[in-house]
Amino acid sequence: MRVLFPRQTPGWPQAVLLNTSGGVTGGDCFTVEADAEPAARLTLTTQAAERIYRAQPGETGHVDARLTIGAGGRIDWLPQETILFDRSSLRRRLSVTMAKDASLLVVEPLVFGRRAMGEVLHDIRLSDRIEIFRGGARLFTDATRLTGDVCGLMQGHAIGHGATALATVIFAAPGAEAFLGDVRDLLPETGGASLIRPDLLFIRILAEDSFALRASLIPVISLLHRADLPRTWML
Amino acid sequence: MATGAPTAMITATPTDPMTDAATLLTLMQWFSPAYPVGAFAYSHGLEQAVAEGRVSDAASAERWIGEVLTLGSPRTDITLLRAAHDADAPALVRIDALARALAPSRERLLETVQQGQSFAQTTRAIWGGDLPVLTYPVAVGRAARLMGFAPATVATLYLHAFAANLTSAAIRIVPLGQTEGQAALARLSRLCSAIAAEALQDTLDDIGSCAFLADIASMRHETLYSRIFRS
Repeated sequence: MRVLFPRQTPGWPQAVLLNTSGGVTGGDCFTVEADAEPAARLTLTTQAAERIYRAQPGETGHVDARLTIGAGGRIDWLPQETILFDRSSLRRRLSVTMAKDASLLVVEPLVFGRRAMGEVLHDIRLSDRIEIFRGGARLFTDATRLTGDVCGLMQGHAIGHGATALATVIFAAPGAEAFLGDVRDLLPETGGASLIRPDLLFIRILAEDSFALRASLIPVISLLHRADLPRTWML
Repeated sequence: MATGAPTAMITATPTDPMTDAATLLTLMQWFSPAYPVGAFAYSHGLEQAVAEGRVSDAASAERWIGEVLTLGSPRTDITLLRAAHDADAPALVRIDALARALAPSRERLLETVQQGQSFAQTTRAIWGGDLPVLTYPVAVGRAARLMGFAPATVATLYLHAFAANLTSAAIRIVPLGQTEGQAALARLSRLCSAIAAEALQDTLDDIGSCAFLADIASMRHETLYSRIFRS
């Protein structure tokens, strides 16, 4: 894993993560840690979509990220899509510890097989969790578990209605409520937004494929990021 | 909240409730629609799914409820219930914080917090014991522990109560005929033991759901113009 810092940035550091191994497979273990000191801002993204390849039976790829945000600081976690291939096995954890008045934007797009390439997922194991602790207390946990025939499961009308792409967006920041109405106006019928608690906005968007997901997602990220998106997102 | 109240609850050793009529009767009371937890006010997003046409008849209602039971928060609830049953007081606080943090929308947070509060208040008033205000699955798990009930039947009946409540909601809003609704519930009931058995094996680190559209429905329900449910 390498970290690049492009020269053209909006006035604060923008780190671009690059997985030089080209993807994740069973038995791999990746850890990312980032710390924004008080009043500092940091944007993190990835150079390319992350591919989760077929794992050997009994093996699981582990990806862990830990973010810490000091008082008045802000981190924007904006990786590009994570693309799951058939027979992949991934256990992923994103854990954020933030000061009470810090700000956090998390965007995690997941793609279950590239529809345009005819990829269909029949047997995967995914355990994906985002945990946020604010001011020392557990604020929010998104725990996704998808095991088995994703393509079949995602047909369900309470599950995905045929979607193959999914985005999770979390905005934990003072004054997050002010964005709720504008975010709702940007969402497709397969998306929802809720101000679960004060200063905590949760958004989930489903789409038929990653292209449609980007079309829905980019306006939402632009609104919440309050600055130009990382160039890797604009390609 | 009840920590100052005198403890009068009888703590028995865990029994298999299937063989114990008294236990079964208490559990039937807890999970009866008459027990004042206010479940009837919550549709878990079903009202929105009906408004959007995703659920439109008996078959689609049964499928929707079955998917939520199998892959959504009810299953997660059972693992939380089990963890609460096994927990000491400090761990109980952490499990309850996790249960709150897992709510994917404002209305779903209300659903678990308000039902848990009502369950704890009523149960404490009748049976006594140190049952603080907790989210619904955590309160049920704690109460089961205080009563000496083993988790398996509690979990199965918890899931059945969830399915029965959404079936009642479907009968009102889809709408379904009473017999049609009860036939659907009879089939959904058969899922409950198996889901409970699996979810009771999971640890808190294993839990997770994928009822994405049900969660999204509960978010979109916040702006549904005309509604009769609180979720």
